[in-house]
Amino acid sequence: MDSMKKLTTIIMAGGKGERLFPLTRDKAKPVITFGGIYRILDFTLSNCLNSGIRRIYVLSQYGSFSLEQHLRQAWDVMHPDLNEFIYSMPPQQIMVNRWYRGTADSIYQNLTLLEQERPRQVLILSGDHVYKLNYREMMDFHLQHNADLTVAAVMVPRVEGSSFGILKVNEASEVENFLEKPKDPPGLPDNPDFSLVSMGVYIFNAETLVEEVIKDAKKKTSKHDFGGDIIPQMVGHKKVYAYNFQDPVTNTPRYWRDIGLLDAYFKAHQDLLGKAPVFELYDADWPVRSKPQLYPPSKYICSGSHVTVEDSLIASGCIIEGTVERSVLSPGVKVGVGATVCQAILWDGVEVGSGAHIRQAIIEEGVRVPPGFTIGLDHERDAKRFHVTENGVVVVPNNAVMVGD
Amino acid sequence: MKTILVVDDDEAIRTLLREELEEEGYKVVIATNARDALKMVETEPLDLVILDIRMPGMDGLEALPRILGLKEGLPVILNSAYSQYQESFMSWAADAYVVKSSDLTELKVKIKELVAK
Repeated sequence: MDSMKKLTTIIMAGGKGERLFPLTRDKAKPVITFGGIYRILDFTLSNCLNSGIRRIYVLSQYGSFSLEQHLRQAWDVMHPDLNEFIYSMPPQQIMVNRWYRGTADSIYQNLTLLEQERPRQVLILSGDHVYKLNYREMMDFHLQHNADLTVAAVMVPRVEGSSFGILKVNEASEVENFLEKPKDPPGLPDNPDFSLVSMGVYIFNAETLVEEVIKDAKKKTSKHDFGGDIIPQMVGHKKVYAYNFQDPVTNTPRYWRDIGLLDAYFKAHQDLLGKAPVFELYDADWPVRSKPQLYPPSKYICSGSHVTVEDSLIASGCIIEGTVERSVLSPGVKVGVGATVCQAILWDGVEVGSGAHIRQAIIEEGVRVPPGFTIGLDHERDAKRFHVTENGVVVVPNNAVMVGD
Repeated sequence: MKTILVVDDDEAIRTLLREELEEEGYKVVIATNARDALKMVETEPLDLVILDIRMPGMDGLEALPRILGLKEGLPVILNSAYSQYQESFMSWAADAYVVKSSDLTELKVKIKELVAK
């Protein structure tokens, strides 16, 4: 039988995304615009589709309407007649009278769902990661190792491991410990300069999952988190394995990013650019789905001054009369005569007035930058008006008011 | 003295459990349905709950997570005439599952174990 037939997939999409403020001010983190035409969640959902997964629960909480809206507009593609679905599930307050206290608690609160489905395995995913993983291959690994839990993990240089949840593994890839942001991250037995970062992607045997979340729900000290609580609770008692997400030929880590911080969001966009980008969207074998939108083709208009577009992603419906470099433009963006947009992420319908200059910025949908205005050139001045990240990226929210400089 | 809440819609069972458990030195309080039981869990100091499954209105498997949500760590023993509910994930949240029998030895052993924790 197809190993994926008895699988239930649950995507965690309820987090508040406070570290992505102000982008998460009015919407759930998984539905933040990414790569011009996508939402972050589209990558995980596309992974499911490309892996042959057609039955998906999306657990929502914070900003659940924005999530529901996106699922309707972009992902109404399943056929309930064929027992295919994507359902969004906010806390129902049926089983217990509270919000989700953590990722493990969100499963505990939906035990009735697992009781109805009675899957053999449960695939648990996160709605705010950008990567391309064939869950079928991870399932093969899980079955080959006869594991109770398989955790997907990616290698990072050991010196960078201190900012992640690290898995300590033995030579057989068995997990010996989970360490949250360790000062001295353990290296891999066969690759001591690299540590394994948990990707927050799990395959559980269903019965093990139920036992473990019940056990966790009864612990008063628990934060009810899969990484910090469930894995440590299982290590030593159950068979927990790490699935190393690496290129099978070169043994180098494959692309995975947690879009948890504004600087990570910005940097991940730079990974999409250039002739041979770090993360390739032009991949016929692994299409990424997004909301279908009707826009006319983008046009570049030379109205006397020079029009330049370099190393950028330009969505449909844009009108460009100025300069765009190393930037990502969502549909319907306008860049006026003599304006420059460099290393910027412009969401739907942003208008950059003529002669305005934008550098290292994230600008939310519909913002009108007045003619001659500058963003990202004078951080001190920017910081008085907008949010500026540690790395100097200026974030302009959709309610920003700007008057000409 | 440890207090045990017995939740059962069958009067004969309630009487039997009350007599036997009082004899063992426990204080026994009674609820005849799950909704009353939830109110008692919220308001009364309890050391353990013995919960029937098949009851009109709300059944024991529905009541169980709510009891645990109200009083974290309160031990619950599911006590049913049927054994098939043991397979339900919903029953796994209980501390023990004892199939009803005229011989209360197993139930008494589990109670002793759980109130001692």
